Amino acid sequence: MASLAQEKRAPGAPSFLSGLKPGRASLIALAGLALVGAGPFVTDAYLTNTLIKAFFFGIAAITVDILWGYAGYLTFGQSVFFGIGAYSAGLVFTYQGFSGMSIALALGAAVGAAAILGFLAGWLSFYRGAAPFFASIISLVLPIAMSQLALSGGSFTGSSSGLTGFESFDFSMEEWFWIAGYSLMACGLLGWKLVNSDAGRILTSMRDNSNRCAYLGINTSAINTALLAACAIAASLAGFGYGSFSCVVAPELLGFSLGTEFIVWVALSGRGTLWGPLVGTVLFNVTSSYLSGSMPFMWQLLLGFSFVLVIILLPGGLIPLLARPFAVNKKSVPELVEARPGEKALPEKGWPHAIEMNRVYKKYGSLSVLRDITFHAESGELVGIIGPNGAGKTTLMRCLSDGGERTDGLVKIYGNDIERFPPEQCVRFGLGRKFQNANIFDSLTVAECLRLARSIKERPSFLEKKRTLALPPYVLDVLRLTDLDKKLPVPARDLSHGEQQALELAMVLALEPLVILLDEPTAGLTKAERTRIGKVLVSLARDHGLCCLLVEHDLDFVKEIATRVIVLHQGCIIMQDTVDRVVDSELVRSIYAGTDFYAGPGRKGLREGAA
Amino acid sequence: MVFLLDCLTTSALLFMVTSGLMMIFGVMRIINFAHGAILGIGGYAAYVATARGFGPGYGWALALLAGLAAGAVVERLVVRPLYKRPLDAILATWGLGIVIIQIIVMGFGRGVQFIDAPIHGSTIVLGVSYSAYRLFMLPVAAGTSALLFLLLNKTRFGTKTRAVIMNEELAASLGINSELIRFLSFCLGAVLGTLAGALISPLFSVDPYMGIAWLTSSFMLVMVSGYSFISLMLTCLVFGAAQVVISSFVNPVLGGMTIAVLAATTLRLRSKGFSRG
Repeated sequence: MASLAQEKRAPGAPSFLSGLKPGRASLIALAGLALVGAGPFVTDAYLTNTLIKAFFFGIAAITVDILWGYAGYLTFGQSVFFGIGAYSAGLVFTYQGFSGMSIALALGAAVGAAAILGFLAGWLSFYRGAAPFFASIISLVLPIAMSQLALSGGSFTGSSSGLTGFESFDFSMEEWFWIAGYSLMACGLLGWKLVNSDAGRILTSMRDNSNRCAYLGINTSAINTALLAACAIAASLAGFGYGSFSCVVAPELLGFSLGTEFIVWVALSGRGTLWGPLVGTVLFNVTSSYLSGSMPFMWQLLLGFSFVLVIILLPGGLIPLLARPFAVNKKSVPELVEARPGEKALPEKGWPHAIEMNRVYKKYGSLSVLRDITFHAESGELVGIIGPNGAGKTTLMRCLSDGGERTDGLVKIYGNDIERFPPEQCVRFGLGRKFQNANIFDSLTVAECLRLARSIKERPSFLEKKRTLALPPYVLDVLRLTDLDKKLPVPARDLSHGEQQALELAMVLALEPLVILLDEPTAGLTKAERTRIGKVLVSLARDHGLCCLLVEHDLDFVKEIATRVIVLHQGCIIMQDTVDRVVDSELVRSIYAGTDFYAGPGRKGLREGAA
Repeated sequence: MVFLLDCLTTSALLFMVTSGLMMIFGVMRIINFAHGAILGIGGYAAYVATARGFGPGYGWALALLAGLAAGAVVERLVVRPLYKRPLDAILATWGLGIVIIQIIVMGFGRGVQFIDAPIHGSTIVLGVSYSAYRLFMLPVAAGTSALLFLLLNKTRFGTKTRAVIMNEELAASLGINSELIRFLSFCLGAVLGTLAGALISPLFSVDPYMGIAWLTSSFMLVMVSGYSFISLMLTCLVFGAAQVVISSFVNPVLGGMTIAVLAATTLRLRSKGFSRG
């Protein structure tokens, strides 16, 4: 979903509760507890009934908000999972009677079926290169298919009238109210913990820039699928509660109008806030139950209109507006500490080559962008790759870091064949890639970006925000040299161009890579920044034994820091030698001066002389 | 033989219904979720015309006008402000679909209406008798695709449109009014939608939700065929045939889901195949 990078969290949505002191948060929780506790005694039977249903819908809406507002997956199909839960209750209680056994069976069916379908939908929707709205369209197929199945189930599923009048839990209205209300609160709290935890930042990062995630070793497809399955189970349990309470299960619960109603509620009440949809869903359901009786079509029309208006004018939703005066915008800043060096030893003699490329080709149809690329690089080397525009330098980087890229040939990172592995696997072999344009997470802070980059080294917690951020010493050096250590709470999009480049470099280094690919790391930097980055790179290679591959246009910069230079021209390696010899060679001069040396008679001799 | 004709006419219908969506997706990279409602507008335009005793030609003209108006209003008020937020644009068109459908419900009620086909009875084709109106869809679809092909490949508008599709920034910097191109494409897409709605209405019933049934199938067809009308035609032929096969030999309910399921799996597997090639 890289193209969604500009679709950040709706502007103006203040991080309301995130800045609250614990005292205030628990105060709100207590107030909620008291409200739900007193609820059934102050509302009439009709309202109690409406509220119980609204609470169950609220749980589903929370899952929609986690998937859409945080992880960026717009789903029209969450109703399917809600409906599956309801049908599990309806079918099992109708055909197996109501007993302890059948309750377990129904719950098992609700969880199992939702998980299986969630995984299936995830497999279909999330793969590398999928268009962002493709997943949304799949989510539209699900409810249509499932409600068709329910409709064609004949007397077994009750077809269009569904199942009614089955025996269910013998709870009083008050008890149902408390069960539903406290479940909603528990789900809200759990969701809140999740999205505000360190691991929860991964969701936002995938929405911002899933490509960068992959190059930080994060398997976005797997995480999205797992999240979808988890949300499916939660929604299914809510549906189970709804079905058991109302004792009416109909195809509408599976259908996509309910799925889109979830979206409407979440959008209107404020996506990406969690508490907004929680409160909003309950409010909309109550209003709707009163108004849809007196003016059914008008109410729908009104809802549709306000939905369009809110999307265009107020993407943050309505309810956060009300809370804005109380918002406290204070981000907690973790303390930087030095990470304990991992057990991974520095590469020694006898290790395989750091990088090995053997007869690598990249073709687009009949056009060869890379031809017969064969070279290797060792630990501690700083290899410059130079060549005019279109020589294939960036393509070479791509073929090194993504197994799916090259057309033919062999690539090994410290002896590990990258086969057809995706970038996240290559990263696990010890590869780090810095892109040409700063490739970072716009809406995350500097500290959060760095924490994410550490996630394959240090599994982030699902429930808490750590107070310290442990980074390897050379990352701390980069941060100090560029003054980024003073900007930890600043959102990455507010940094200057040079700072963003430095942040990306720090993120890549936080992976503790053994091999690092740098695509024009100094482009657009000032002379001073360039010198600083140069020093860092030299020290990485010399003191920490990294193998650095550096694509650069600036020959002076290469001359200063590189230990060896590879010259690419029209997709071939035409020379690899020491810096001085390359820079002084006629060949390189003629390429950069634009003389077509292929036309000359000396081609063969030059190639042999160069190799 | 009947089976073959079923396949062909189903594909023709699918092509008619999908081409408007394709037009909009191709130029604006936006899936128009209001397309279902737009089909509905076309259906009701045909219904209004025939209910007043006018001929089908008037219905089609009315559908064309309604499509033009709807397209123009939607593009100006909803799609353009959301140009930088494609997912939100999709959502907004969806909300708009709800609004349009509710307006139709308020105007005409939820009931199902039937429209007489302008061409009655059946024709004998190659020895079998077949519904004449369904057959009529074949030249209509062929004509539409020919017209679209000519429009996109042989006119100045087409050249500019293709320029915008390939590289909007460059096109704009060369003095092509890309906003106008997008506006016109959206209107054209909406008109194709309402015309399709009017054309298919005699074969099916007309009700406010009539477009929704076609929505997922046409989304999936567009996703599979990419940006070209030629590949859209081929996809319609293949998937339309598959739908007919499943509906007539297995189960009509499964038949209705065929295109969606087939397309989802195709996309899933093909994209993997690309990365391996």
